[in-house]
Amino acid sequence: MADFSWDVRSPLDRALVAGPYGAQGEAGVTLTEIRNFDLVQVMARRGKAGEMAKAAKTRFGVAAPDKPEAVGAADATLIWSGPDQFLVLSKGGKHTIEALGPIFAGSASLSDQSHARALISVSGEKARAMLAKLSSIDLHPDVFGVGAAAATSMDHTSVTLWRGADRGGQAAFNLLVFATFAESLWHTILDSAAEYGVTIGHSEEF
Amino acid sequence: MRITCPFCGERELGEFTYLGDAKPQRPVADAGEEAVYDYVYLRDNVAGVMSEHWYHSGGCRAWLKVTRNTLTHEISAVEPAAGAGAAKVGA
Ligand SMILES: [Zn+2]
Repeated sequence: MADFSWDVRSPLDRALVAGPYGAQGEAGVTLTEIRNFDLVQVMARRGKAGEMAKAAKTRFGVAAPDKPEAVGAADATLIWSGPDQFLVLSKGGKHTIEALGPIFAGSASLSDQSHARALISVSGEKARAMLAKLSSIDLHPDVFGVGAAAATSMDHTSVTLWRGADRGGQAAFNLLVFATFAESLWHTILDSAAEYGVTIGHSEEF
Repeated sequence: MRITCPFCGERELGEFTYLGDAKPQRPVADAGEEAVYDYVYLRDNVAGVMSEHWYHSGGCRAWLKVTRNTLTHEISAVEPAAGAGAAKVGA
């Protein structure tokens, strides 16, 4: 048997070049890839949505989202991903699939998505203008406030989009995208953001 | 054309995939060849109000039953198809 040395790398490892990009001057868009997170998909079994919700409340201290929104718990974010299902985003190994398995035993099916998605945070003065080129979702603050979420598509790619806490007084949007589509969407985002000037980086902090 | 998904809200057509007529019901096991042939192959070519299945493929991935006028594209009702979102359908 051959020995394999698995090297965990971000799906954007090759595409992401930290630093300035596009128009010079003060950057209008900040792109930050968030790395090294735990992500678990929780889907209610048939007729067990109520039980799943109860288990989530006990575990996280907040009600799991039952409509498109992202709910902040003490050490996790619960993001709506479809009817009777949500994603648990956390870090530090507190809410891994192994930890959540017994919590949702009998009420929901779990699936580990930690290495299956890339997480991109988009902020800056021109974040909304840039996203408007890619998304048909109305992101105006009156409609899409902090905590609003959407299961939608950008550039024909399925994404989970939600508005997180503001960064530096500006709205911040989070994007979860399938790992194998991340590089493609990343390039589309860069093309869309170039005219505003971009600051690119990565972080392990949400 | 836009479809108001009962789970996601109003979305553009590009997020949806069309399946077709929502009327045909699977015949019982002993219904005979005619009934199965009809169910699998024969479709009405409706000019007017029609019940259709649509899939929110680029969104929440729920199957929807949409009542649409094929002449005007006017949509008069959208509801979750059986099995989509156990809580809403009542499973
Ligand atoms: Zn939907």
